[in-house]
Amino acid sequence: MKLKRVWAQCVKELSQFRRDRLTVALAFLLPFATLLIFGFAIRLETKNIPLVIQDFDNSAFSRAYIERLYGTNQLDPVRWFRDKLAQDSINQGKASAAVIIPPDFSRRLKEGKTSTIQVLIDGSDVANARVIKNSIRATNTFFLKTEGLLPKQSLITSRTRVWFNPGRQESLYMVPGVLAINLVLYPSILAAIAMVRDKEEGTIVQVYASSTSATELLLGKGLAYLSIALSEAVFLMMAAALIFGTRLAGDPTPLLVGTPLFLATSVMIGLFVGARSNSQSAAIQVVGAANALTTMLLSGFIYPISNIPWPLSLLANLVPVRYYIELTRDSFVRGTGWPGIWFVFPALAALGLVLFWGAWQKLQRMQFSD
Amino acid sequence: MTSIAAHSSIADVAAQDLIIRVRGLRKKYGTLEAVQGIDFEVQQGEVFGIIGPDGAGKTTTFQILSGVMEATGGDIQVLGKAPRDARLGIGYLTQRFSLYLDLSLEENLRYSAGLREVPEDLFLERSRKYLKLMDLDKFPKRLAGQLSGGMKQKLALCCALIAQPKVLLLDEPTTGVDPVSRREFWDVLATLADEGVTMVVATPYLDEAERCDRIALIYGGQLQQIGTPDQLRAGLGLHRLEVRTEAIEDAERALTTPQGTDSSIIDVQTFGDRLDVLVKDIQTGEAQIRLLLDKSPLDGQPGSPVHISRTEPTLENVFVTHLRQQGSDPPFIPFPRIYPRENNQGEMAIYAQDLSKKFGDFQAVKDVDLEIHYGEIYGLLGANGAGKTTTIKMLCGLLERSAGAIILAGQTSNLRSAELRKRMGYMSQKFTLYDDLTILQNLEFYCGVYGVPRHARRAKIDWVLETCGLTGQENMLTGQLPGGWKQRVAFGASVMHEPKILFLDEPTSGVDPLARRQFWRLIEDFAHNGTAVLVTTHYLEEAEHCHQMSFMASGETVAKGSPSQIKAQQPGQLIEVGLAETQVASNLLKTKFDPWRVSIFADYLHVVLDRPDQQISELKSILQAAAIEIRSIRTIPFSLEDAFIGTISRALESQTGGAP
Repeated sequence: MKLKRVWAQCVKELSQFRRDRLTVALAFLLPFATLLIFGFAIRLETKNIPLVIQDFDNSAFSRAYIERLYGTNQLDPVRWFRDKLAQDSINQGKASAAVIIPPDFSRRLKEGKTSTIQVLIDGSDVANARVIKNSIRATNTFFLKTEGLLPKQSLITSRTRVWFNPGRQESLYMVPGVLAINLVLYPSILAAIAMVRDKEEGTIVQVYASSTSATELLLGKGLAYLSIALSEAVFLMMAAALIFGTRLAGDPTPLLVGTPLFLATSVMIGLFVGARSNSQSAAIQVVGAANALTTMLLSGFIYPISNIPWPLSLLANLVPVRYYIELTRDSFVRGTGWPGIWFVFPALAALGLVLFWGAWQKLQRMQFSD
Repeated sequence: MTSIAAHSSIADVAAQDLIIRVRGLRKKYGTLEAVQGIDFEVQQGEVFGIIGPDGAGKTTTFQILSGVMEATGGDIQVLGKAPRDARLGIGYLTQRFSLYLDLSLEENLRYSAGLREVPEDLFLERSRKYLKLMDLDKFPKRLAGQLSGGMKQKLALCCALIAQPKVLLLDEPTTGVDPVSRREFWDVLATLADEGVTMVVATPYLDEAERCDRIALIYGGQLQQIGTPDQLRAGLGLHRLEVRTEAIEDAERALTTPQGTDSSIIDVQTFGDRLDVLVKDIQTGEAQIRLLLDKSPLDGQPGSPVHISRTEPTLENVFVTHLRQQGSDPPFIPFPRIYPRENNQGEMAIYAQDLSKKFGDFQAVKDVDLEIHYGEIYGLLGANGAGKTTTIKMLCGLLERSAGAIILAGQTSNLRSAELRKRMGYMSQKFTLYDDLTILQNLEFYCGVYGVPRHARRAKIDWVLETCGLTGQENMLTGQLPGGWKQRVAFGASVMHEPKILFLDEPTSGVDPLARRQFWRLIEDFAHNGTAVLVTTHYLEEAEHCHQMSFMASGETVAKGSPSQIKAQQPGQLIEVGLAETQVASNLLKTKFDPWRVSIFADYLHVVLDRPDQQISELKSILQAAAIEIRSIRTIPFSLEDAFIGTISRALESQTGGAP
């Protein structure tokens, strides 16, 4: 292997990249836009669920109860008609839940009997339904306690303290994941295009005609796009710090070492796909679809990996971004450092090498195939 | 011991002299055997030409020699090694894929140097040297994509040379390059050959092939002939007679009527204002021609003057005759017409006055006038970037004109109306066909676009397929066709709707000589049937087919007229000098006369002299002073190419204020 040839390849790739202003702009604008969209738009916590209440009791008691329900920021009142069926509000999509308080609500409570209220919940959104159910159940207990209908002293009481992210800032959960997703998606697309463009335009023949080896070609292109990916990473992390207030928690060295390693595997994904396809449109589709599916579903970005059923969960272990999300969450939120996340490094290195080998396999002859 | 050592050193010398050795080269793509056992050898310092029709296996051979593709069989040695292992000693130049258009000249060179591990100091020295040699040293920062076609190929050659390869493999390096740049390119190649670089070059231009030391004629994946140009010409055993007459069409008809086996006439070709007749024997041949022409009335007036001059066959005659013997002459099939012939002969089809186009500050076309009648073939000739394509695009309404007037088929405005477009055909330099559709799908698409009636489509498509020799292969992807075949299909696609006005932008670029003749028969057939044809080409010898033509330089018309008129307009005289050391003599003479006045044709020099009476003796004394022996010296008539180069060079000289 000759470093001079690796370097020549790298310099040429960077010159070509720099020449196209639009590509340069997109390489930074698209990840930035993704960061903003995911950072602001995705909220896993449910708030302001529209709720209809029909109060047929209309007593001080029932009004106090209603006040309690709306007292949390989870439920929002929706106006509804007294003489219309409450379920229609759900059917028409005006509300996600309806509570019907019967006329004997306060009377039965005062008599010490069980009073039944009817709760209708839109079950088409399973997660929301669960939240509403728990919320109403909690309100019931709290209401009974404050009205003195239950003993104030529980025999068991839990003192909860949230470890890491004590303010339960949701952006601290999302943003490290978004960083990881950005840093796999865009560098791999750029690298795939760079790999396949020479083939599509036929200029690859010049590389074949020189005695450049597959390793030199892959390293040259890889190095160029690794440096571009690194600048994307620095740019995005600074943007995240400014906009979402993410700060490093604890030892920064795992992030400093892990980021270049992860970016190298991202670039390798692109080179791997590029080496094995013959047109830019095919390469972009493969990289795009593979990344979209794995990062959303198999990376723990939104849905915990522990929820993925076997044997699909095994597949998750082959997704590099899964490891980097662990790393970024640790670096920005948990801060446990090396002891907690050492396994990320051998995993990323192994995946990167496998991808490199896969690309090299295809290119090793450095000739046209028939 | 000593004798063994001496023996082995002799063997080494012999091995060193042999740069390329090919034995039984074969290449199969699936079931198609593209190359079927080729043997040849190339010696140190030789310029070895490979000629052959499109799809003959030339590009495959180059790809194997350069090590970018594996052969199916055979023993191939380049520089004494397998091609793959010899890659550092090989420079490989392809028709289109040698440059990164989004990189500057300098960046392209640096990349090539880096790939081939050229040290920095040598890189600087060589890039300076070669950029200067190719006349590209003025704008190192310009992007390769902004260079003209000729300059691009010169830059690609620089890139190939930067590692000082011992062998240069050049696969049609001058396709699509104008005649002026082509000559410059070949002069550079000659300089390199003098420095001892071995070259293998393929070209569809047979006048270029004349400049090779040896030539291989490949056809159908097999080597048909090999030898020096003289050997090939002599091997033909025929003589060429140039017949000039007023009534050229009648003369052609008279001479092509079958004459029986004892006839002396072997082949007849129209070249615009003359006929080339190949005969077995000069005397009997000439007598037979005179007899035939006397028997049939020429243009209704018997006895109109006929001039016959005796010359030797060209390489093109060799090529065409051999391939005809192989039975590979593309057939001429009458075009299935569905519209009646209009009686519009002599009416104006295309008219333009003071046509101009500016792109920003750049004046691409300036005050161009054109008058083209129905039934006329009009040639628009010029160097790369002279404004020909821009002119055509304005004429067919694809580009808005900055100034001037256009009348197209009697219409002055609305040149993009559907009615008018149905009467027009346009074949552009590139982008005519969809590579990812099959041939049939492409043709069906164009039938639909141009509104060919449904009942006539089958016949038209069959005609295109038969004419192109692609019957039975219509479901092949267009992208897999060799370049020359793609051009034929593209031509077919642009004429299926029987256009009355036909624009052809470099239709024959990269097409082999036989197929080019077929192209021109078709074009002439359309003209006979009343179509006005505007055509651009870089093959000046085929431009002789045009009835009228104009030369363009830097967006302006610099000469106009019929081919004979243009040649007659040439000031000065063309002198042919026969000598052995053409390259030395050419380099020497170029220092004494304007460089464009001197060009090499095989083992002759062509020199344009304005005052031949005095200058011939001056020329002789210059050569004698350098001890170069003159074999022969004579005045010859201007070819259209000589006229073109003279006119364009003079025009550019006066535009740049008479710079050297």
